[in-house]
Amino acid sequence: MRASAGPAGSAGALVRLFHVSKSYLAGSWALRDVSLELVKGEFVFLTGPSGAGKTTLMRLIFAAEHPSEGQILVLGRNVSRVGPAAVAPLRRRIGVVFQDFKLLPRRTVEENVGVALDVVGVSQRDKRARVFAMLKRVGLQHRRYHHPLSLSGGEQQRLAIARALVNDPEILLADEPTGNLDPDLTLEIMDLIADAASRGTAVFVATHDHSLVEQYGRRVVRLEDGEIVQDAPVRGSRR
Amino acid sequence: MSGGTAQVRTAFRTAFQGVRASPVTSIVAVATIGLCLLLAGAFGLLVSNMERLLDRFGEDIRVSAYLEEGLSPEVQAELLGRVGMAPGVERVELVTPEQALARFRAAQGERAALLDGLDRNPLPASLEIALVPEQRNQAGLEVLREALDGLPGIAELGYGAEWIEGYEQAVGLIRGVGISIGGVLALATLLIVANTIRLSIYARREEIEIVQLVGGSPAFVSSPFLLEGLAQGIAGGLLALALLFAFYRLMLPGLEEGLELLLGYAEPAFLGAAACAWLLLAGAALGFVGAGVALLQDGARR
Repeated sequence: MRASAGPAGSAGALVRLFHVSKSYLAGSWALRDVSLELVKGEFVFLTGPSGAGKTTLMRLIFAAEHPSEGQILVLGRNVSRVGPAAVAPLRRRIGVVFQDFKLLPRRTVEENVGVALDVVGVSQRDKRARVFAMLKRVGLQHRRYHHPLSLSGGEQQRLAIARALVNDPEILLADEPTGNLDPDLTLEIMDLIADAASRGTAVFVATHDHSLVEQYGRRVVRLEDGEIVQDAPVRGSRR
Repeated sequence: MSGGTAQVRTAFRTAFQGVRASPVTSIVAVATIGLCLLLAGAFGLLVSNMERLLDRFGEDIRVSAYLEEGLSPEVQAELLGRVGMAPGVERVELVTPEQALARFRAAQGERAALLDGLDRNPLPASLEIALVPEQRNQAGLEVLREALDGLPGIAELGYGAEWIEGYEQAVGLIRGVGISIGGVLALATLLIVANTIRLSIYARREEIEIVQLVGGSPAFVSSPFLLEGLAQGIAGGLLALALLFAFYRLMLPGLEEGLELLLGYAEPAFLGAAACAWLLLAGAALGFVGAGVALLQDGARR
C-alpha cells in the first residue's frame, strides 16, 4: 500500500482511495484527505491510537459506510456510489475479520464458516469439503459441531478468520484480529493471515500491537486524528 | 447443483431454522392469521349462504309474455321455441288461458266464487319465462325485452320490476358489505402479520446484519422471511378452515332448525372447494405480503 498517485494510480491496485474524508458530525472528521492504494498480495498494517479512524477506514472499504468526500475504488468499483444490490457481490470478494468477531451464536462452527459460501450459492457437497479444509487450516475441525459461545476467545477469533478466508477473497480486512490473544496464539493467527497474503490476497490489518508490527516488518500506515501521518515501506519480514 | 438451486435450498433451510429458533413467534403468527381468516371465512360462509337463499328467491322471478288472442297451437309452439332460444332464458313454459284462470282462482281463495259470474275467460295465454341466475336483474330483463320486441304473436311483456329491483339491491348490499368487511379484515390481518414478522426480523437482526456483511444480497436475506411468512400464511389458512368446519358442524343442527322455522327452507352449505382454496390462497398471500411489508419497514428503518 502506498499513497495514491492519483486516479490513474497503479495498474494492479485492488483498493484505491482518493482524498477520502468522513465526517459523522459537522466540523468533526473521522478521516481527512486519505489517499491510499493496496495491491494484490500486499500485507499492510494500519496502526494508530484508539479513535484514529482505523475502523472507519475499513468500513469505508467494504462499503458499510459512504465517504463524505473523495472516491474509493474497490476491485474496480466505485463504492462511494454503489447501491445495496451492488454492495453484496463486492463483499463476497472481500473477507472481513471484525473486532467483535460477529459470529452467529445459534449456528454451529461449521455453519458460521459455511454462511460465506451460502451467499455465493456453493453446493452443499462443495461447501462441506471447503469448510472442513478451512477449519483444519485454523485448527478447529474437531469443534465444527460446537456453537461459538462454547469456544474460547482464541477459537472464536480463528473461526472469524476461517469465515473471512473460506471464499479465497481478493482482499482481507482484519480489525484487531489478535486483540485478546496470548502471544503464541497471536503468532498463529498472524501466520494464517500472512499465508493468505502469500496466496495473493491483499491484506489490511488494523492493530494497536507495535510488537506485532515490528515482528512482521511489513508496510505500515499510521493514522492519527483521521489523517495519515506515516506510510512506512517494507523493512523485510522476519517471519 | 447450480448456484441458484443451492441458494433456494439455503433459503428453505434458513426459513426452517428460523421457525425452529423462535417457535413462539411462529405460533403467534399462525394463530393470528388463522383467527383473522376464521372471521373472514365465517363472514364468507354467511354471505354465500345468504346468496344461496337469495338465488332460491330469485328462481321465483318470472317474465310473462302475453300472447295475442286466436293464435293456433302451431304458432304458439313455434313462439315457445323461439323464446326459449332468447338470451338469458333458462326455460319457458306455455300457460293456457284455462291454466291461468285456475291459478288466479286458487290465488283468490274464498273470493274465487266471484269469478263464477264471468261469461268468458278474460285471461290470455302466456309464455312464462325463467331467467338464468346471472340474468335475474334489470339489465338481463332489458336484453330479453329487446330480443322479444316485435316478435309477432306477443302482445305484452309483464314482470315485477320492483321485485326485481329489490332483489338486485339485496344481492348487491350483501356482496358490498361482504367485500367491505373482507377488505377491512384483510388489511387488519396484513398489519398484524407484518408486525408479528417484524418481531421475528428484530429477533434475528444480528444474524441479518452478519449475512449482509459477508455478502448476502437483499434477496438472499429476505427470501427466508418471505418463505416463513408464506408457510405461516398457509398454516393459518388451514387452521382457519379446520376451525370454521368444526364450528359449522357444531352449529349446523341449530341453524337448520332456525331456517326451517323462519323461511320454511333450510339447506345451509359449507364453503365450496373453490372458496376453501381461495381462503388458503388468501392466507398464503397475507403471510407473504405481511413479511414483505415487514422487510420494507425494517429496511426503511435501517
